[in-house]
Amino acid sequence: MYTKTVKLINATGLHARPASLFVAKAKNYRSQIALKNLRTGREAPNAKSIVILLTLAISCGTEVEISAEGPDEVEAVDALATFIESGCGER
Amino acid sequence: MNILKGIAVSQGIAIGQVYRYSPFKPTVEERYCRPDEAAWQAESYQNSKESALGELRDLFDKMMRENSGKADIFKAHQDIITDEVIDGEILAGIHSENMHADFAVFSVLSGYIDILGQSEDSLIRERVMDLTDVRSRLIRNLHGVREQSLSHFSEPTIVVAEDLFPSDTATIDRTHVVGIATELGGATSHTAIIAKSYGIPAIVGIPSLMQEAAGGAQAVIDALAGALIISPTPDLCMEYVKKLDDFLEVSARTQKFVSTEAITKDGIKIDIGMNIGSAKLPEFSEFADFIGLFRTEFLYMESSQMPTEQAQYEAYRSVLEAAGKRPVTLRTLDIGGDKKLDYWQLPQEENPFLGNRALRLCFAYEDVFKAQLRAALRASIHGVLHIMFPMVGSIEDVRRAKTSLESAKADLSRAGIPYSPDVKVGIMIEIPSVAACADKFAAEVDFASIGTNDLTQYLFAVDRMNPRVERYYQEFSPLLIHCLSHIVTAFGSAQKPLSICGELGGNPDATALLVGLGLRKLSMNSSSFAAVRQVITQIEYAQAAGLAQNALAASTEDEVKALIRAFHKKLHPEAVFL
Repeated sequence: MYTKTVKLINATGLHARPASLFVAKAKNYRSQIALKNLRTGREAPNAKSIVILLTLAISCGTEVEISAEGPDEVEAVDALATFIESGCGER
Repeated sequence: MNILKGIAVSQGIAIGQVYRYSPFKPTVEERYCRPDEAAWQAESYQNSKESALGELRDLFDKMMRENSGKADIFKAHQDIITDEVIDGEILAGIHSENMHADFAVFSVLSGYIDILGQSEDSLIRERVMDLTDVRSRLIRNLHGVREQSLSHFSEPTIVVAEDLFPSDTATIDRTHVVGIATELGGATSHTAIIAKSYGIPAIVGIPSLMQEAAGGAQAVIDALAGALIISPTPDLCMEYVKKLDDFLEVSARTQKFVSTEAITKDGIKIDIGMNIGSAKLPEFSEFADFIGLFRTEFLYMESSQMPTEQAQYEAYRSVLEAAGKRPVTLRTLDIGGDKKLDYWQLPQEENPFLGNRALRLCFAYEDVFKAQLRAALRASIHGVLHIMFPMVGSIEDVRRAKTSLESAKADLSRAGIPYSPDVKVGIMIEIPSVAACADKFAAEVDFASIGTNDLTQYLFAVDRMNPRVERYYQEFSPLLIHCLSHIVTAFGSAQKPLSICGELGGNPDATALLVGLGLRKLSMNSSSFAAVRQVITQIEYAQAAGLAQNALAASTEDEVKALIRAFHKKLHPEAVFL
């Protein structure tokens, strides 16, 4: 298992469009990927689900923990962490 | 004839035939199958998914051709249908609990609809409509019912429905649907927002609408008065044909002015500013000469915790970048009074409007204030930033706010973080003490903006949230006009820029008066650009100054209103004002 903590910086949070981009990215990897909202402690064991990501209600400035388990866990976590740190494709 | 009242959410008048839209409404019973039927239920679920996805792909392609901005909705709906977790839970319901396919779809999606509906984040709550929409689509396909839509009409049509969903409004035939009436919904409902953006007159929240409105009936939507008139008498119908013509003519004529430079007939240029309250610039923002009021409360109100300095910086930066070379007047946090935050519980006060609000609150919570100032300063290198303090009541307030700003600058300098050296500092003029001695304040600041809403409230000691004292709130009173005139003179002789950003600034009835008083910068919501610019291009400053002199000489608000009416009547004998 490989884990990274990053902070969400795009102003509107992980809402529909960023969440959809995140899921599309996550689906490129075979590993099981989980996402945790460190502010509320709420966790999505499967981060390849847009609806579940929305239920995490991740707002701007929230720290999240990305973890993955599987053959490409390091690449998956690194890529998703970079995606979040760079503003979820919103800039 | 039957007149039904509701909330007008998108202005205008429409005449057409009633089309009762009753889209598929899932009625699902709690049903279970025999274990050996589960495979068959799962298969029919898979088939319904395939046909629903097919519909969504067709809709997406159609929208890409016709209205690409709305196409995204159908991509998002496909994402929900192919969602691994949702799909897995539905299949688990069928296989392990032997739910009927429709019941499994209904219960899984309803569960998430409930969760998202309780979210504190309004952007996430909006997704409830999409999940509900997808839930209906899947169950409709399971029940083998064909899709109904609002996409094809041949006559002017008034759509009457309980409520409209995103997929209904996205595909609506905008040529023939001339009006919308719904039983549910309020001013901020999905239907309201969409109708407004399409410019389709709409009335929502009409009680027992679906009982009263028969399909095929002739009807009139009067979204100026908030009425749906079913089967109007021939006379009334003729009257509305004329009203509709007038309305279309006036709004077409006005809308042409949205981008016109605001110059009076005798050559005085007025800068038109825009008031905004989010990180995203609204429609027509390209026509604003400057951002006269950037309210920052949204960052605090839409968040479930105190927004971080970084989050604020991001938001301010995006506005400054979008504004380009145009100055952005950022107003520091203005909460308290009628604006409260869930996560920041402040003591109850007897008189919140006279209490520890806005700048006073910032002084009491210096760390919150300085975080905002640092965020704003950091963003200042991405555009032209002006910082404005609300609720200033004394010279001490101005000096203390400026000290906080200097200290925020020092923090950044120590940390080696760059900021622009040219950030202008100004105040809102909304407390009468400032208006009374405007010259002393003009000497202390780079600019000011008049907040007429609060200024009127404090000048007349009227709580503007209390409907029982509404008539004491007199925006056209000569007493207020004297105040404005005094401020204009003080800032004029100090040669410091002055603007107005309250409701009055965007009220076309007040435009001539304000220009006549000597104001050269008016800031307003972008929806008022056209009407205000139209007035400016049609008046002469010399005449407007005459109007202002007469208004100053008047004794009562009614006299001022009569003067303004007469002034506009002379310009346009046919126009209706005030």
